[in-house]
Amino acid sequence: MTRTPLRPLARILEARAKGENPDAIERENTRARHEEMRDGARARAEGRLLVLGVMFFCAYAVIGVRMGLMANSDPVEPRAAASAARIVAQRADITDRRGRVLATNIETHSLYAHPQQMIEPERVAEALVKIFPDLEFKRLTKDFTGKRKFVWIKKKISPEQKQAVFDIGDPGLLFGPREMRLYPNGKLAAHVLGGYSFGKEGVDAAEVIGVAGVERVFDDFLRDPAEEGKPLQLSLDLTVQAAAEQVLFGGMKLMNAKGAASVLMDVQTGEVLSVVSLPDFDPNDRPRPPTEGAPDDSPLFNRAVQGVYELGSTFKIFTAAQAMELGLVNPSTVIDIRGPLKWGKHRIRDFHNYGKELSVTDIIVKSSNIGTARLAQMVGAKRQQEFLGALGLLEKAPVEIIEARGSTPLLPPNWSEISTMTISYGHGISVSPMHLAAAYATVANGGTRVVPTLLKQAGPQYGERVMSRQVAAAAREMLRKVVTDGTASFGEVPGYAVGGKTGSADKPKPRGGYYKDKVIATFASVFPAHDPKYVLVVTLDEPETLALGEVRRTAGWTAVPVAAEMINRVAPLLGLRPQVEPGQLAGITLTSSN
Amino acid sequence: MSYLEHTVKYVPAGPRKVLYVHWPITLLLVAVAALGFLMLYSVAGGSYTPWAEPQMKRFAVGLVLMLGIALVPIWFWRNIALVAYLGTLALLALVPFFGDVGMGAQRWIDLGIMRLQPSELMKIALVMLLAAYYDWLPMSKVSHPIWVALPVILILIPTALVLQQPDLGTSILLLLGGGAVMFIAGVHWAYFAAVLTASAGLVAAVFRSRGTGWQLLNDYQYRRIDTFLDPSADPLGAGYHITQSKIALGSGGWTGRGFMQGTQSRLNFLPEKHTDFIFTTLAEEFGFLGAVSLLGLYALIIFFCIVSALSNPNRFAALLTLGIATTFFFFFAVNMSMVMGLLPVVGVPLPLVSYGGSAMLVLMAAFGLVQSAHVHKPR
Repeated sequence: MTRTPLRPLARILEARAKGENPDAIERENTRARHEEMRDGARARAEGRLLVLGVMFFCAYAVIGVRMGLMANSDPVEPRAAASAARIVAQRADITDRRGRVLATNIETHSLYAHPQQMIEPERVAEALVKIFPDLEFKRLTKDFTGKRKFVWIKKKISPEQKQAVFDIGDPGLLFGPREMRLYPNGKLAAHVLGGYSFGKEGVDAAEVIGVAGVERVFDDFLRDPAEEGKPLQLSLDLTVQAAAEQVLFGGMKLMNAKGAASVLMDVQTGEVLSVVSLPDFDPNDRPRPPTEGAPDDSPLFNRAVQGVYELGSTFKIFTAAQAMELGLVNPSTVIDIRGPLKWGKHRIRDFHNYGKELSVTDIIVKSSNIGTARLAQMVGAKRQQEFLGALGLLEKAPVEIIEARGSTPLLPPNWSEISTMTISYGHGISVSPMHLAAAYATVANGGTRVVPTLLKQAGPQYGERVMSRQVAAAAREMLRKVVTDGTASFGEVPGYAVGGKTGSADKPKPRGGYYKDKVIATFASVFPAHDPKYVLVVTLDEPETLALGEVRRTAGWTAVPVAAEMINRVAPLLGLRPQVEPGQLAGITLTSSN
Repeated sequence: MSYLEHTVKYVPAGPRKVLYVHWPITLLLVAVAALGFLMLYSVAGGSYTPWAEPQMKRFAVGLVLMLGIALVPIWFWRNIALVAYLGTLALLALVPFFGDVGMGAQRWIDLGIMRLQPSELMKIALVMLLAAYYDWLPMSKVSHPIWVALPVILILIPTALVLQQPDLGTSILLLLGGGAVMFIAGVHWAYFAAVLTASAGLVAAVFRSRGTGWQLLNDYQYRRIDTFLDPSADPLGAGYHITQSKIALGSGGWTGRGFMQGTQSRLNFLPEKHTDFIFTTLAEEFGFLGAVSLLGLYALIIFFCIVSALSNPNRFAALLTLGIATTFFFFFAVNMSMVMGLLPVVGVPLPLVSYGGSAMLVLMAAFGLVQSAHVHKPR
């Protein structure tokens, strides 16, 4: 910055020469410089102020616009995603095929505490222990006097208990409404229904979720608000189920069995009308799963579906049916049954010696292992596998309870010729009673595949054909003969022509080999035999009964009488009329009097 | 004294000074304060206690204080600027030792009659000192690095002390206020550009450092920033203030729900409803129109200050007036932006409206200085 000097020498000299005061020039210049500086400063300050003013204006504009936008907005209360998800407590009912309630909800209350608001924690704890003896005084006192702000005391309490707690009168005790699941029939159909537990729990509501059985499989459906509480209708019949459970329980006790299972199925629709597994439990108070011991020792174990057993001679009818279907034999074809049948180091024996040869019908009626194995040799491994697959015996039972996922049949690792022979009479393959019932339904309904279901069906299933009508009819005749002339003679129920096949299989030891004195006794029956409507499978686990001075374990002595009693009880409930064959009216002749 | 002295024509003296007090500003202050009383009355549910009545008393004291300061010659204030700054700085430094703890921070000193917040006082003292400094400093040296460094240090010392209390809001206001005075005084553009760039870098560093060992801010400060960036992420937790005040503003609409009809604030949805967030009550009860009216009152006050400063040949007086006006602007702009979710919640009261003794008295004292500058303007 070049400055003009305040006392420019030239002008000073000039002024001196003129005799003027040179200081005036300096004053003049000083004033001019000050004015210049002032103007500069002012201009700069004004520029800065202008910038500041623009900033102010912008800020004002932003605030004003924002204010306008917000004034125009809707005052909506926001909700946090997590806490806003309402607990849906409603759950649809479950009914039987006639609409009778199997599972419903009732309103109860939960009991919780806000210890910080409690006036006399010790007195409250004492009073609570009196009302709920399962609570611990020490624990409660510790919870109530500590720093906790919230304590669950009871998840569900009865109205009487609620009143009693209310009478304690402490402001720190609070109740919340809560829906809980109720199974009004107690243990009835326990394994089908399964049970429930609470999911997300709030003080105002709790999620009821199914943990087993249909409650678990249809959990989404039962909780779906879109279904508007439409009940889930099962194929079960409450009265039939009750009768079946009663008979089976009695039979299990009588035969000293440690467990029992039965499946009653409609042969046309595949509907399961009753399925029982004993011992059972109360789904209202479902026991905890066992942490030790064999799973099938627990009452939670569903023998009818989860229990896969070697079901023994009940399989023979499939071998015979297939041999007939393939045209290899007819019911009267004679088969060589001389034993023992040797195959490598294996020997196949019969329970009794039935002589040299038997017809196919008699092989079934007398239950000859050797004869069935010979039939299987004719059929061959591949065709046998296909046939059993077509009957649904090689995959999980597709019934709608969660336990069905555990019903994978046990099959031989490689389907060798010896496997083919043992499988033909029900050894070396383990399936559940539910599998067996569905396969027998195929034989009974004229030869079409049946898929078992627990839901009520509108009409019959028209499954794929597994065997011809003629073969199915011939097989049915054989089954009927088993009851009339063969191993299941105790199965005769007057008025209901029962047909069926017994099976007694030695129980396998956990580490290989078979027990000599433990069997699974099964009777798979169809009734009425001439036009079967229902199939009933009864399985007893380790039955043992004393008859005619001998210890009897085979199905003919154990499972068959139980099944007969059951048919006797449930057939009228199912609406079947007894067909009484007219007796011989001896000694009376019709005469006409003239 | 200054190169402008020769322009002095007439400076009011004696009782005549009262005639020269800037009455429009005084009236505007009274109007804003009256609006504040209304809001405090409403927030308390139609009661003078616990807020409206003490606030009125304080305002009366503040008004007398302002007039008292106004009648003291402006050059006296310039001469004591350095003393005022050092004294306030000493008080600020004493806070950690003698201060009371309130709301999780140590900001108060108990003087017996009233509890004083030295950080509030510092806002004025800093502006005074900087104005005096630039009055003393020849214009030619304003942008010289050494003469720029000095005021920067003068600003940073109290800012650091306040930040450590911790009070982010006030420290930001100190920075902004001091910076504004330097800007108006004519410090070269390049310095401000450099500071802006540096602060952008700092912001980046702050975010980068999060979660690392050398984290620059407290967790609660990071949470406030997160909440500011997305209040809906946690509407019931950290975002509560902003969400609720937005609802209040929305429910006020254009014309408001009417005096004493606000639900958001009166049903205790809003925290700090009588202090930092009182603007939401105003917006809810008087709507957009009421809020804009308050903005208008503030704008008029600032406008009168600028006009007064522009016509004031005394550099100290002009800088002081502009500095106080700018600080005042930052006060309410930051508060409103915070309430409306334009800025993070930093805890700045709404000047003259929010309940609070220190802030009110200090603000009235500041306007006393503005008045003094105006009264003693050579005419």
